[in-house]
Amino acid sequence: MSVTTPRRNKIYVWLDERAGIGRLIGGALDEPIRGGARWAYVFGSALVFLFSLQVVTGIFLAMYYVPSSDHAHASVAYIQKAVSGGALLRGLHYYGASAMIMIIVAHISQTFLYGAYKGKRELVWIVGGALLLIVLGFAFTGYLLPWDQDAYFGTKVGTSIAGEIPLVGPLQQRIMLGGSEITSLTLSRFFMVHVFLLPLSLAILVVVHIYLFRKAGPAGPFHSKADHRVERFYPRQLLKDFVFVLVVFIVLIALAHFIPARLGPQADPTSDFLARPAWYFLPLFELLKYFPGKLSLIPTVVLPAVLFGVIFLLPFFDRRGERHPLRRPVASAALVFTLTGAIGLIVLSKYQDRANPEYSAKLKQQDEEAIAFMKSPFQPQEIGRSIPTAPPTVVSNPLEAGSTPQKIFFANCANCHGTSAEGGTLGPSLVNLERRRKLTADFLANWIAGHGREPSADSMPRFRQLTEGEREELAEWLLKVDKPLAQPETNPQPGRDGEAPAAFVASCAFCHGDRGEGNIGPSLAGITSKPNRGPEELLRMLSNSRAFGLKDPMPESFPDLSDKDKQAIVEWLSRLKSQ
Amino acid sequence: MTTEMTDEELSPDRRRFLGALIGLISSGITTVLGVTIGRYTIAPALSNTNVGEWTDVGLLEEIPEGKPVKRNVVVSQDSGWGRFNSQRLVWVIRKGEQVTVFSAACPHLGCTINETSNGFICPCHGSAWSADGERLGGPTPRGMDMLDHRVEGDLLKVKYQYFKQGVAEKEEAG
Repeated sequence: MSVTTPRRNKIYVWLDERAGIGRLIGGALDEPIRGGARWAYVFGSALVFLFSLQVVTGIFLAMYYVPSSDHAHASVAYIQKAVSGGALLRGLHYYGASAMIMIIVAHISQTFLYGAYKGKRELVWIVGGALLLIVLGFAFTGYLLPWDQDAYFGTKVGTSIAGEIPLVGPLQQRIMLGGSEITSLTLSRFFMVHVFLLPLSLAILVVVHIYLFRKAGPAGPFHSKADHRVERFYPRQLLKDFVFVLVVFIVLIALAHFIPARLGPQADPTSDFLARPAWYFLPLFELLKYFPGKLSLIPTVVLPAVLFGVIFLLPFFDRRGERHPLRRPVASAALVFTLTGAIGLIVLSKYQDRANPEYSAKLKQQDEEAIAFMKSPFQPQEIGRSIPTAPPTVVSNPLEAGSTPQKIFFANCANCHGTSAEGGTLGPSLVNLERRRKLTADFLANWIAGHGREPSADSMPRFRQLTEGEREELAEWLLKVDKPLAQPETNPQPGRDGEAPAAFVASCAFCHGDRGEGNIGPSLAGITSKPNRGPEELLRMLSNSRAFGLKDPMPESFPDLSDKDKQAIVEWLSRLKSQ
Repeated sequence: MTTEMTDEELSPDRRRFLGALIGLISSGITTVLGVTIGRYTIAPALSNTNVGEWTDVGLLEEIPEGKPVKRNVVVSQDSGWGRFNSQRLVWVIRKGEQVTVFSAACPHLGCTINETSNGFICPCHGSAWSADGERLGGPTPRGMDMLDHRVEGDLLKVKYQYFKQGVAEKEEAG
């Protein structure tokens, strides 16, 4: 008969007769524990609780989260700053992840120290090792999702390390990223792995782990084989488990409340952010400093491979029955060495960052930026401001044709705002701006330069390739546009000086137009007469555009172009005078 | 379990007490989580999403005399992490200085109202209105919904709003 005596009320009896819940509950609660309940055994249950907590909080975070590089950060900021209870839920998820790693280390250490993997418990132990890998996978994929500076640069370093593995590395890195860079596609696949693949795998393996553990039975205390006391799981062990779970939960709530989960400013790939991994990857990060060049494979690949190799093979080469930690000095020393080593490396890494004035100043500045972002009120992301309004119907052009600002307009603005300035595929009408929007020339010139605007995929590009004078001239001219512009007699086709070289057509024309007249990229007509854009500089720019202050979507370099191609392009561009 | 082992039994009272403690802890955690998740889920559902700003229709001189014209206006809606600017349709009728702006959303079930030779019609369920927006027939419960407008200089602006569907009185949807 079951030791538990649930009240035999009618509903219970009805259910038990049909679903056999009595046997299920009894099986779960009446597990015999040799040697009695102990605090040392609470970690497994705590992990089940933490996983459930991550699932529940994660499901609800997904209610507002958007896995797209355009909106991920805004949606996390919304959860963190605007939704009631959002900061708490995100905090529980954020700190819950760290707690999971700490407690899984405690769980494995306890099992190892007690020799509880011995005696037909190989499979329990091996599945446990696989669970550790999955939890690390959760940490790695979840880190990118908020799409802030920490997330972006942390993941950049992490995936680069994966790319350094000999033979399979580069391909593996591309598969992880979904391309050669961290893009929205990377975010989508990290999201899929974090939210669907890993939880499913973990859930299945947890069931297998617990089943195997119940099949083998708890190992009991290591000190005495003569301890013949047996206690059932319920109630004393379960209560101990729950008390520990409660403590963990209270600590998580307190952390989430008093130290809100960090969210820095949105990822900016062009910034010089000093990336630091999450604390649980710090030991590997610190070791990397001591193994330069090819040797870096030792901490990134060899050491983790050895660690997991030992974990997976341990029950097969340690076949002695002895379980007392003091009578297994090598095993116990190895555990103490690994744990103190890892903690020491974390401390060392923190200490070095603090001791280095350059790093500590930069990290402090980044912290302050993150804190400032956290404190600033939530700003909804502006979506779809670029919808063209109804175009006016009058068609005539009182403006003198062919003025400088008009040329600038046709080369830069007309692609989005329409050649008549009445609004086009992407940009709104610019006709009658002064009367309709009460804009000033100063504001407009500033707007064209993009000052104070956070760039998003929706927003207007920053036209910093125009000089300040050009921008002011353009702004004043634009404010005077009160009728749709007449179509230019010939579309500005600057390339009257011979056909564009094939390399230009292949690499540049998509953005800059077939003849360099400009499209989503600016017009290149007369570019070589602009400051810092001489032929020599253009050649260097094609190898490293970032050095010239150019940003996305201009590629950093054009590895497909040979030096001869580049010369042909620059030579042609220098003949491409503006009309 | 081998036979020489002894099972330790607790008194039924103690078992019941420890069981109650377990129940207390689990219901405590569940309550805290449940309340948090409940607030989190309900929060945006109760707030008004329509930003309700005045939005441009166009220059008055661009609206032809007498004939109803369809205009797109940009409407801002706060939806969680974003402020979404999307287009809505309005009908504008100008008779000299007199301007009337109607929402093109049918008061019946929200289809888009079309123009006919002498008034308006909703193609979905056949509701009909006069050229002044008075209800003529069909399932619509009321006349076309007039929107507040104002003229600033020569610019016509409208305050786009949503109204409850299927009721006889025009009432803002909140």
